[in-house]
Amino acid sequence: MNPFKGMLDKINVESVELELMRTAYGSTTTLLSKLDPRILMVWYLIFAFAPWFFFDSAKLLSIFAFVTVITAISKANKLVLFLLCLGIIGQMACYAIVAYFLGGNMAALAALLTLTLKLATISLASIAVFSNIDPERFSDALLSFGAPAQLAFSISYGYRVIPVMVEEYKDIMLSFRLRGHAPSKKGFLSWRYAYYLLKIAVLAFYPLILNTAKRIRTTIEALETKGFSYAMNNNDVKRLKLSYLKIKAADIIFLLVSILILIAIILI
Amino acid sequence: MSESIIRIEGLSFVYPANERPSLDNIDLEINKGDFVSIIGGNGSGKTTLCKCINGIIPHFIAGDFYGEVKVCGVDTLDMPVSTLAQRVSYIYQDFESQLVRPTVLDDVTFGPLNFGMKDYHQKGMEALRMLDIEGLKDRFIWELSGGQKHLTALAGALSVKPDIIIIDEPAAQLDPYNAVAIYRRLKILNESFGITVITIEHNTELIAEYCNSVILMDAGRAVWIKPVRDALNAVNDLVKRNIYPPQVSQAAWRISPNMPSYPLTVGEAEKYFAAARIQCPVESNDCGLGDDAHMPHPAIEFKDVSLWFRSLTETTKNVLKDISLSINEGENVAIVGNNGAGKSTLLKMITGVIKPKGGHITVYGTETAEIMPEELSSTVAYIYQNPEEMFIEDSIRKDISYFLKTRHKAHEYEVLDYFINDIIKSFGLEDLQHKDGRMLSGGQQRRASLAIGVAMQPKILLLDEPTGSLDIESRREMVNSLELLKDRVKTVIIATHDMSLAAEWADRVIVMKDGRIIADGDTRSIFDDITLLDQCHLKPPQIVELSKRLNMRPIALSIDEFTSRISSIDEVMI
Repeated sequence: MNPFKGMLDKINVESVELELMRTAYGSTTTLLSKLDPRILMVWYLIFAFAPWFFFDSAKLLSIFAFVTVITAISKANKLVLFLLCLGIIGQMACYAIVAYFLGGNMAALAALLTLTLKLATISLASIAVFSNIDPERFSDALLSFGAPAQLAFSISYGYRVIPVMVEEYKDIMLSFRLRGHAPSKKGFLSWRYAYYLLKIAVLAFYPLILNTAKRIRTTIEALETKGFSYAMNNNDVKRLKLSYLKIKAADIIFLLVSILILIAIILI
Repeated sequence: MSESIIRIEGLSFVYPANERPSLDNIDLEINKGDFVSIIGGNGSGKTTLCKCINGIIPHFIAGDFYGEVKVCGVDTLDMPVSTLAQRVSYIYQDFESQLVRPTVLDDVTFGPLNFGMKDYHQKGMEALRMLDIEGLKDRFIWELSGGQKHLTALAGALSVKPDIIIIDEPAAQLDPYNAVAIYRRLKILNESFGITVITIEHNTELIAEYCNSVILMDAGRAVWIKPVRDALNAVNDLVKRNIYPPQVSQAAWRISPNMPSYPLTVGEAEKYFAAARIQCPVESNDCGLGDDAHMPHPAIEFKDVSLWFRSLTETTKNVLKDISLSINEGENVAIVGNNGAGKSTLLKMITGVIKPKGGHITVYGTETAEIMPEELSSTVAYIYQNPEEMFIEDSIRKDISYFLKTRHKAHEYEVLDYFINDIIKSFGLEDLQHKDGRMLSGGQQRRASLAIGVAMQPKILLLDEPTGSLDIESRREMVNSLELLKDRVKTVIIATHDMSLAAEWADRVIVMKDGRIIADGDTRSIFDDITLLDQCHLKPPQIVELSKRLNMRPIALSIDEFTSRISSIDEVMI
């Protein structure tokens, strides 16, 4: 068994799909997931913009620390966090190499590290928030902010069909493999084999798109019979649909405390 | 009971691209509280008619529309689809595409919510209660089995409190166990809640058991609407249109074609044939005990094979448990069992795409875990349940040649073309070869997928549910194509819940349940064991059950076998 295949066995489509669905719908017990999705989105907007207004690394580090604590209590998905860390470490390594070859000094590196810190803060904030708003509540929050019903529906429907599409994609991939011919010589680091798999991974999208397009007709008709377009032009229905979203004391406290901490960091 | 709920007068409809009308001057009346089934061949206008009743035609699908359709006394032209949809619910043949929300309760309340009903939550729960599936309410759609998804679609249809429910071919999409479960519920909805039910159905045995009347469609016309017994006894009318009444009626009709009425159920048939004399089979030594003349040569071997998966809630799900099995070259094996029994997984493991987590699988002595599926594919070919997933090229011909062309050089293509032409010809695909597989009818798609498999020149051919979601006509087409395999492939294994296919085609049957093999033996002895089949929720074909009740020894596996062994009983009436 070659090393490439061993790795493939661990990170296969199935486990990625499972992780994806777990991130989306998995946690409903954390503090953040109990809050109103609109409050979470406002919170996210604040913490996504705040880092851009400072250059003081102590303040940035404090904000980063606060967001890290929130992420920790939100029990964000480990795979996603791992990918984030990998990205940041990779980025820093690149900076170091580039700085070394271009003859820059540590100052250049420090400036770039500030940028990385800002990006990391924002990424963490989005992970914390979005792993705690399931697509349904996210779509309802958007609707309540006045986004068009089609957009809000597409988000929740998109998530609904992901497992179906992944399942079909896997089957089509297998179709290619069960009738295809893998390269007999794997090449250096199995590059031939990797190239072969990559190629069919791309080709498999075409039948998937065509099959999905064919099925979508039924969905559109079904939406019509279930009164989707009727509801779209009806504000009473929108109010009824969103009536479960209620801002409670805990939501206000969470937002206020976060803002106070942010102000404290800025002032100190 | 005679108050009409749907009244259709002079209805004709032509789809925009077509010249021929899909519906041709239909006059029809359906009574309130009826349980009607619409039967007819492919393209006879069944689905089009139903779409006229729920207003999708002409409100959503434009075309030339003539005549009048009145639902609950109101002309469908005067009612918007959204109003009509609260009276007539429609469940599509492709019911999975109808489920648009992530969880069961979300989907079931989607309709009432969209129509602005304040008690939408209650309405959804009520629908789930009516079908006795409250337990599913918080489950995600993608976690459900096919049967549960269909029930969810039905609950979604019920939640708007419709007067009429239309269901497009439920039995074709589900395994027999789940199809019966759906029909039982429909019967309750019909009898206890007074809902008018219209199904498009090919399975005449289900029609006989559950429906009250039948509409026969042919070439866009409604030929007749009759009470169910009269309808299914009009055997000549049906057979002429490739519709087949229940097996027992067919058998009785073949033996005495001029009787005024025929039995519909096994119970009736038992009385009908009670006085008949049963003859011994002509070749007394050929009672299905396959000939063991040649030395068995093992093609596939499973040794203590187990498989499990992780699921969303971090639990492991056992798919296969301790499977040990040996299949010899030359056998025609049917693996039977309901959905979720592990049939498909077992087949996929033979192709090497799923490796066992415990135990060993060898194919002609090669361990599947140590070889890539690409290499194994010159020995084993796998035909998908959904043929669309096999159409990876933009024409049938390219799909059929794909395997060979990846293994040969360009200058050899000319020779390959002879072989490919031969396959295309024997599977009757000459006229279709340049079409995209997705554009073909269900039966044609299956035939094309078989041709793709045969073109790989495998020693072993695996077919996953080859007759699933096919109407009776296409099913016949498929069964005929299976005959073509006999000269080309040595060992054929079919995973199926189609019990009459297993009875008529296989010489060995393996019964699976919950990931285990429950029984394995020659076809006749497996079908002889009714308790075993019962235990696995498998219903033997009517003819098998009848021959058993009539103490026919050995039992008959097909209508032909049955009729050849029973004396004429013209004097006997029901």
